[in-house]
Amino acid sequence: MTSDSARFGHRWLPILLVLPLMILILLFFYAPVIQAFYWSFFLEQPFGGGSQFVGFDNFSRVLADPEFWRATWRTLIFMVTASALAVVLPLVLAIAADRQIRLSPVARNVLVWPKGVAGASIGVVFAFIFNPFVGILAPLNNWFPGLWAPGLDGVDAFITLIVAHVWSGIPFNFVILLAGLRAVPHTLYQAAALDGAGPWRRIRDLQLPLIAPQLFLTLVLEFTESITSVFALIDTITKGGPGGATTLLVYKIYADGFRGYDLSGASTQTVMLMIFVVLLAGCQFAFLGRRINYER
Amino acid sequence: MNAIDPIHAEAQGIRLSGVTKSYDAKAVTIPPMDIEMRAGEFTVILGPSGCGKSTLLQMIAGLERVTGGTISIGGREVQDLEPKERGLAMVFQNYALYPHMTVAQNIGYSLRVAGIQRAERDARVKAVARMLGLADFLHRKPGQLSGGQRQRVAIGRAIIREPGVLLFDEPLSNLDAQLRQDMRLELAELHHRIGATSIFVTHDQVEAMTLADRILILNKGRVEQFDTPKTIYSRPASIFVAKFIGAPPMNILPVSGDGRALRFGNGKVFAASPLKGEFLLGIRPESIVLDRHGPIRAQLRHREDLGSHMILTAAFDLVDLRIALPFGSAEPQQSDLHLHFPRECLHLFDVEGRRIEADFHLEYAN
Ligand SMILES: Nc1ncnc2c1ncn2[C@@H]1O[C@H](COP(=O)(O)OP(=O)(O)OP(=O)(O)O)[C@@H](O)[C@H]1O
Ligand SMILES: [Mg+2]
Repeated sequence: MTSDSARFGHRWLPILLVLPLMILILLFFYAPVIQAFYWSFFLEQPFGGGSQFVGFDNFSRVLADPEFWRATWRTLIFMVTASALAVVLPLVLAIAADRQIRLSPVARNVLVWPKGVAGASIGVVFAFIFNPFVGILAPLNNWFPGLWAPGLDGVDAFITLIVAHVWSGIPFNFVILLAGLRAVPHTLYQAAALDGAGPWRRIRDLQLPLIAPQLFLTLVLEFTESITSVFALIDTITKGGPGGATTLLVYKIYADGFRGYDLSGASTQTVMLMIFVVLLAGCQFAFLGRRINYER
Repeated sequence: MNAIDPIHAEAQGIRLSGVTKSYDAKAVTIPPMDIEMRAGEFTVILGPSGCGKSTLLQMIAGLERVTGGTISIGGREVQDLEPKERGLAMVFQNYALYPHMTVAQNIGYSLRVAGIQRAERDARVKAVARMLGLADFLHRKPGQLSGGQRQRVAIGRAIIREPGVLLFDEPLSNLDAQLRQDMRLELAELHHRIGATSIFVTHDQVEAMTLADRILILNKGRVEQFDTPKTIYSRPASIFVAKFIGAPPMNILPVSGDGRALRFGNGKVFAASPLKGEFLLGIRPESIVLDRHGPIRAQLRHREDLGSHMILTAAFDLVDLRIALPFGSAEPQQSDLHLHFPRECLHLFDVEGRRIEADFHLEYAN
């Protein structure tokens, strides 16, 4: 009897404790995902009142839309360039820091703080920094009028977005990569120096292979981040403009759903985006993850 | 085994002149040091932790800059050269193998960096691996090897370039006792076959005594003695050396002389001698003889049987004397010990701990 009641408490207490979190995840993650899947097979009225099963009609409609392909293409370009820069720049910084500076924990903390600043706030800051009239590039326009006009020129707007994204990604990736470099025993570099390898050679033959797990981690996170969390940046800096030049898929979904009231179309694109992200992460783990298995 | 060994080095002598090292302005780690190692010689650097053994080795290797002085290898000044330009190789305590490379890649890395063709590289890696008994492990990663095998890979990586100078920083200290002993013998044999000038850092006096042509004993960065193992054992230059070499360490007894006799602290006359002043008398535990007619009396306090020999601890004149008896010798039956200190086994030091070399004319009374 007593043991039963004791076990009863043990069995329910943990569940009780995680319940709030589970409800939140259910409510704000799984429910919308399931809803999106459901809607992608129905034609929805924007203000409720009737929905109609249409099979794969939504998908064929989206796939036939040239705007969808343009947004997808932009998303891919953004994903590759922004992720590459957001990993390569911190990598260069981390290698330099590992060589020269012994970063104090305080300095490391200061460097991660920007990660805590939400995308929207970074977006607002960058909207000012890159403002053609009052931002840091404004003088450029005094000398060469019209050279920097993110509000008019799609390429300038795209660059602004990439810079803002890379900027927000640097601190976190820097800390991860630096931690990886610091974990490599110093005697390995000494051994390589005696084996005749110069500094560049040591970077190539030792440091890069030895921080492959960290590089892999940052790359996976960056790829998925660059697809989804860019939304806040677009919404605050460019609003998808000029002329749709910065309308990436996430932003198009939002615009279609909440401005165009095309719930079914937006859900369908959401589903496709989700599948793409999952496949992407899966591929990375399958191809990259397998090659970096070793013991230190 | 091949008639001709695949690896043979052109040994080079090393000379340090006035070499000093300070890591920061306040403390001097190594005060000016002048030493010379002959080509092909096996030198063991021995000293307590923190005395600067690794620092010395790293300065020779070029991994640490010298604060002052010159280092020459094979007659060439090298203190401003990069490690790779000095023509030496090093084996590290924690092996420092490249964890992402196979055994073959680890051993052959220096050849790859030097741009040597794959075919030649493979042939030389194979030859070295065969020499070290690693031929079956060439495709493994270091993580899949035992400690002894890893150490062999580290040695292989060092010798493949046939360096004129080989440096070892406590290469055996991560191995268990049995393996240590085996590797010690292997290293001694390897040294004979390769012939490189070798410098070997250790805290283990057995390694030092068995491997070294000469032992360099360091104390707080200073050279206490640099001599053959035999001389270091039989004529230690200081009490520091005397207590560092030998286990259990040499017994040290304060004595004072009035020009006619040397007396122990308790006033008992030890021997007739013309010496005047305070001195320290040293005798090794294994030199003390149990003798029914011995003039020195001590109280037995403790005995430890180590199988091969027995160690007695006896109280004498406020200090504990340690006496080592070889296996099979007669054990004392009562706690009153009569001891004899053979004259030729005595060492005399001044109060600073320096050896007094002059003949000190001891005359036992009898
Ligand atoms: N990079 C460094 N910076 C500052 N001081 C150092 C550095 N390396 C060594 N030291 C100091 O120099 C002294 C000698 O160190 P070293 O490593 O040469 O000793 P060691 O004889 O090799 O000791 P162990 O037997 O413990 O390896 C020590 O007091 C140590 O604290
Ligand atoms: Mg050391």
